[in-house]
Parts: sequence; structure tokens; C-alpha cells
Amino acid sequence: MRRGGFVVGVAIALVGLGVCCAAARAQTPAETPRAAEYSPAHLYNQANADARAGKVALAVLEYERARVLAPADPDARENLRHARELAGVPAGPDDWFERYGRFANPNAMYWIGIAGLALGGGCLLMLRRRTPTRGALLAGMILGAAMVGASLVNAAATFPVLSEAVALEQAAAGVSPVEGADALFAVPAASTVRVLDRHQGFDLIRDSQGREGWVSAANLAPVIPSSAGNDSVSSRAAIR
Amino acid sequence: MSILKSVKSFAIGTFIAVISCMAVAGIALGDGTTALQSIEPSTITLGGSAQLTITAIGSEAPAITPPMVPGLEFLAVGQSQQVEIINGVASSKTTVTYQVTPQQAGVFTIPSALPGGEPAVLTVNRGNGPAPPGGAGQSAQPQASSSLPAASTRQGASGAAFVRLRLAKHDLYVGEMIPVDIQVGARDGMVASLNGPPMLNGDAFTLNKLPENPSRTEEIIDGKPFIVFTWHTALVAVKPGTLSLTVDTPLTVRVQSAVRPGAGFFSGSGFEDLLNDPAFQNFFGRSSQRDVTVSSAPETFTVLPLPAEGRPADFSGAVGKFAVSTDLSQDKAGVGDPITLRTHVSGEGDFARVDAPVLHDGDGWKAYTPTSKFTAADEIGYRGEKTFEQPLVSTRPGERAVPETDFSWFDPATRRYEQAHTPPLTVAIAPAPAGSSLASMPPAASPGAAAPTGNGQAPAWRPDHPDRGAASSLTPHYFQPEFVALPPLLLVALSTAWLWIRQGERSAKTARSALAAPPSIESLANQMDGYAAAGDTESFFDTGRAALRRVLATKWGLAPTDVTAEEVISRLGSDSEISRAFLLADEATYSRLKLSAPDFQQWKRIVLRNVDDRVPT
Repeated sequence: MRRGGFVVGVAIALVGLGVCCAAARAQTPAETPRAAEYSPAHLYNQANADARAGKVALAVLEYERARVLAPADPDARENLRHARELAGVPAGPDDWFERYGRFANPNAMYWIGIAGLALGGGCLLMLRRRTPTRGALLAGMILGAAMVGASLVNAAATFPVLSEAVALEQAAAGVSPVEGADALFAVPAASTVRVLDRHQGFDLIRDSQGREGWVSAANLAPVIPSSAGNDSVSSRAAIR
Repeated sequence: MSILKSVKSFAIGTFIAVISCMAVAGIALGDGTTALQSIEPSTITLGGSAQLTITAIGSEAPAITPPMVPGLEFLAVGQSQQVEIINGVASSKTTVTYQVTPQQAGVFTIPSALPGGEPAVLTVNRGNGPAPPGGAGQSAQPQASSSLPAASTRQGASGAAFVRLRLAKHDLYVGEMIPVDIQVGARDGMVASLNGPPMLNGDAFTLNKLPENPSRTEEIIDGKPFIVFTWHTALVAVKPGTLSLTVDTPLTVRVQSAVRPGAGFFSGSGFEDLLNDPAFQNFFGRSSQRDVTVSSAPETFTVLPLPAEGRPADFSGAVGKFAVSTDLSQDKAGVGDPITLRTHVSGEGDFARVDAPVLHDGDGWKAYTPTSKFTAADEIGYRGEKTFEQPLVSTRPGERAVPETDFSWFDPATRRYEQAHTPPLTVAIAPAPAGSSLASMPPAASPGAAAPTGNGQAPAWRPDHPDRGAASSLTPHYFQPEFVALPPLLLVALSTAWLWIRQGERSAKTARSALAAPPSIESLANQMDGYAAAGDTESFFDTGRAALRRVLATKWGLAPTDVTAEEVISRLGSDSEISRAFLLADEATYSRLKLSAPDFQQWKRIVLRNVDDRVPT
């Protein structure tokens, strides 16, 4: 029976490692990427091209998207800051937790969390067997828990990105989600805002100064598109 | 009947004569009457009360009505009259005492209740501090009359009071501010107190904060005297449409025991008005007090929405007529030194909706959050100047230009949006001292450069990256349904494995316990007797060997399966009974050994004796 438990633990750990290897393989350089627009490097390069062409708002959007997959990329961060300077807009909604929590590619961190779960769980199972390697198993369990914790922190810090959007054109934030509503403040092009609610073609946004108002959704492009594939093209068409 | 009419006419005539005499005497003695007014104590705290004493000394007793001051409540607590006749000349001294209870802190000037008297001043503190300056004491001083057109007056509370609005216009835009006068008229002697400021009815308009010092005037309406309190303020419409507006004012009126028309001794005689006169009734103490709310006549407004056409993108909601200018706190500074950009927005309108045309970081400038200050040019805050002060720090030396700022607003007069552009301002920024972290900053690009950078050339974007792996979606795996399911599945698998292992361990433990349990001698004997009776030698010896194994395993500290014939021979020798029993058991298994009944019994006794020492040999 003890052997059975040991075998199960090892099997689960191997499955976890196998999944991680498969994921890592998916992240390794490939000759033909499946969706080049969601490569961080491709997004970053496209943002550079747009910035050089003077399309600063679109560049900010693509830098933001590049930073979703490569949040620690110093080049993307610096060019994004530069693009915002050019557009005359303040930094997007960002806090210390988000700044430090987004320290690595979220997809890689996801798999690290899965591997940590498998490692910690496997070690916990194997600890039931009286073995001289108990210390090593305890260390493995702690390491697995740390991996899971890091992954959870990264997930929590990445979560706000889901509701971020970039203003592609200057827009007026109104008091209500109707045409001709009284304007509360202006949302300059290229500013990154947080979308709090949606109503009939209008988004309730909060800007970096904490002000809230309704903006026509046509003026905003979400950092993370709702459907994969054609959003990049549609937003590009909108700005052009 | 005719006698009754004659008596009635006589009585009326007599009364008219008396009253006429009193009135003539009052007029005649008007200049000769001395009025004294004093308040004790003259300084109180909010929640306390003071006593106002009004004394009239003259040949006749004048009618004394309680004064009316917003924020003060007067309650008559005593009245005395003393008449002296010296050398045939009558002299009267009338004293009325009121308890004065303040409803708010301030310095109140109580006007004289009689002509020629001096006003009394009452200071009301908040309790732990002095009275606020400019309190209601100013209310007695008439203020500059408004230029707003007069409105219709609708009296309420049985003609004791009215509330009316004076407005410049009735067609306006959402967010447009218009001056308004709110007037509350109180008939002298019929209103005891104002119990609060006038309040708007409904949510379609907002009102600027009402001043604590309404102006006070006197007005004759329909031949009746009113004290009119006027609040000069401003009104803002907050939603479009055809809207109606009324203003309510809570007050306390004196309810008089009016003579019913057509009844009584004085009916139809023209004396009813005289008897219902508040001065008359107050004099004779025939009134009680009642709280009422008086509303103004409804005013209808047409409020238009701000047009969407031509609305500038930077429009922040300002409606009115404005002018914008900027200046800098200094024209010379060093790198890292703060300078202040002042943006002045002046004009008329709702300055609460005027937002700062803010500069942001960039172009070699570090900008900080601006502060604002409003300086009103009139008492209602309709005209004035709002100044925004934004600290800036230049991060580069040179002849620097502060970027232009734009400000837009909607002008209701021209019915279109207006925009103002401030001129660029220049400031000479000296390099930072050597050794400073800012000293290495290169000179700034020429003013107006679109994107100055470290070298003053075009923006230096960081280089492109080599393309690497891609993801099928920008949504991180954490938030994709197919990936979200994986961690719970893994947890379920781990939990299942845990339970399975635990269950297996429990089963093994149970089996070990069963294996190691000492056999029952009786059951063992019965079992072996059964096999012996059946002539089943193999099962007979198997049962006996298993029982011996358990005993020996326990004794030797081995697993029962490890107690083999070889192990027994090596430990006990081949001549021992147990060794022979093990060998016979093997023989019975492989060679179909047949035993006689006595042999069965003998081997049974051997087995039982070695299993349990208590078994007799």
C-alpha cells in the first residue's frame, strides 16, 4: 500500500511536470506563431511603428497589450511612458500592488502555479510514507506552496488589466450614458482608463485622477480584446 | 329694535371717538414719547436666551409689537403699564418684556420697536467661540437694491407672509447660473419668526448657499405693511425640460382670534379690520402661534440642454462668459526649481463647473496637481475669478516655453461654445549646479518642438525586439475558462489520491491486525477436529501451521509469512515437534499424506499445546 501511495504521488508530480513541459514548449520560439498579433514582441514592434508614425494613441494601446504578456519588459515600459509624454496624458491607473505583482509573463506564472500545486501536492502525498527523505519532501512542499503563492499574486495583480481601455480619440466624459449628456471632464486621446460598467454603447470609466464619467464605447479600445483575433485590426481601422 | 340700534350706534360712536382720541394723542405725542430698548445679557451662547425690554414713556400708551429678526424668536413674557396724573397731566409708562431665543449664532441687531428708539445688539456665540463675523446683525441694514425685475406676490398663511422670486430670465441652459432674489415678506406683527432659510422645491435646480444676512426693507402691499427679507443668490438648472420652481419658507405666525364677519356687536360696522389688526390684537394679547410653510408662486423655466454640435473635446462643463489668462510666478529659475503656472479664469457663470486646464508631465516639465481659489466679485459668487496654481519643475536647462493651455466653455448669450488659447510663456532655466543629479540634463529643444528627447532630436524609441513565441489569446491563462478548470482538476486528483492512499493504509492495517490476532483455542480445536473427521490431512495441517506461524511470528518478531519450515528448523532444530509439524504440513500438501484418527488427535494436541501453554498434553 505504501508503495501504491508513493507511486501515485510520483505519477501526479510527473503529470504536473509533463504539463509544464508542454506549456513551456508552447512558449518557446516557434517558426510559425499561431497568432502573431498576440506575440509580445510583435505587439511591441507594432507599437514602435505606430509611435514613429505619430499614431500615439494606437501605440499606447499596443504597448499596453505588449505589457500584458511581457509586463517586466523595460523597453515596452519606457516607450509607453514616452508615448504618454508625447500625448500629454498621465500614467494609467497603476498602484504598487499592480506594479510589483505583475513581475512576469502571466501565462508562465500560471504554469508555475500549476507545477507548484503538483509539486507541493506530490510531496505531501509522499510524506505519508516514512522515508529518510522527509526533509527534502518538506522543502519540496514549501517550494510548491511558494510557487502557487507567486502565481496567485501575479493573477491578482493582472486582474485589473481585464477592465482597462485606452482612449483612441479625445472624448468627453458625460454625466449619463446618453448622447448630449453634460460633460464632466475631457478624456484625452491615449489615456488609459478603467472601465467600470457598460450601458448601451457607453462605458463608465474612471481616469487616473479618479474621476468617473460615461464615454462612448466607440472612443475606447480595451487593452484585452473581448474576442481573440480581429480586435487589433478593428481598433486599427477605427483609428485610421 | 330702534332702541337697540340707537344703543349700538352710540357705542360705535363712542368707540370711534375713543380710538380717534388715542390715535390723535399718539400722533400728537409721537415726538414726546420716549422709547427705551435694552437686552440683557447682550452676549449669550447658542441655546441660551436673553430678555428684551421695551419701554415706552409718554402721555399715552403706544402699541408695541414684537420685533422680527431672522434667526431670533421673540416670546412675550410680561407687560406692565403705569399711569400717573400729575397736575392734571397724564403720563404713561408701558413696559413689554420678551424672551429672545436665538436659532443661530451671530451678531443680531434688533431694530427699535418704536420710532425714535435705538436698536439693541445681541451677540450669540456658538458655545466655544466668538460669533461669526458678518452675522445676521447686518440684516437690519438695508442693502443695495437688486436690479432684477419684480415678481408677482402670492400671499400665504392668511396674508401674514409671502415668498416670491425675482429672476432675470426664464429661458436658460443646463449648467447656466442666473442671479435670483428670494424675498420673504412678513406682515409686521403677524409673523413671530422665520424658522429656516428659504428652500427650493424639487431637484431640477440647485441654489447657491444663501447668505446669513438677508437685506431688510419695508414694503406696502395692498395697503398693508410688510417687512421684506431678501436673499441675493444664484440658481443653476441641472436638467433640461420645462420646469417649475417654487420656494418654501418655514415660519411661525401669530394666529389671531378674528372677529367673525357678520356676527357680533361690530358686524358690518367697519370695525372688523380694526379688531383684526395685529397691533390691536397683540396689544390685547388675543393671538396664538402656529408653524406654517409659505410657498412662492410657481415660476416656469424652459431649460435647454447644451448642444452636442460644436462641443470641443476639452469642454469640461463650464457655462457662462469667461476670459482666460496665464502667468508665471517668475521668469527665471534653475533646473529642479519649482515655478508656479497661474491660470486665471474670470467672468460670470457657475465657477464650480470651471475645471483647470491642467498641464501634464512631459516636454521636459514635471507637473504637479493644481490648486484652485475662487475670488467672488459680487455677493452671490456669480461674477469673479478662479485662479488655478500649478507647480511646474523644469528638468532641462535653457530658454523653456511653458506649453499653451486651452479652455472652452458654453456661452448662453451667443448660444455656442467658445474657446480660449493662452499664449506661450517663456522662462529661463539655468543649469543645475555641478555635482547635482540634474546637472547632466542636456539643454531643452527649442520651444514648440513636438517631442523633445534627451538629445533634442526626434523621440528616441527603444529598438524593436526579435519576434518570439506567441499566445493564442491576450487574455492571461488565469482568466480563460479552459485554464481556469485545470487547478481544480489537479486539486481533485490530489485529493482523490490522498483518500485512496489513506483508504489503502487503513485496509492494510486491518489485515495486519486480523493476521496478528491470537487464534481462539476452541475454534482452532474444532476446526482441526472437523478436518480430521473428514480425513482432510492437508487442511488439518494448514490450519495448525497457520496457528503456529502466528504464535512464532509474534514470538520471533517476524511477519507470519516469514515463518517458514526452514526458519523453524533453523531456530528449533529438526527434531522439535513444531518442525515436524511444519514438515508434515508440507508433505500433506504435496504427497496426499493419510493419517489415522489417533495420529490426528496426537498432532492436534501438539499444535494446541504449542499455541497455548494452558492446553494439557
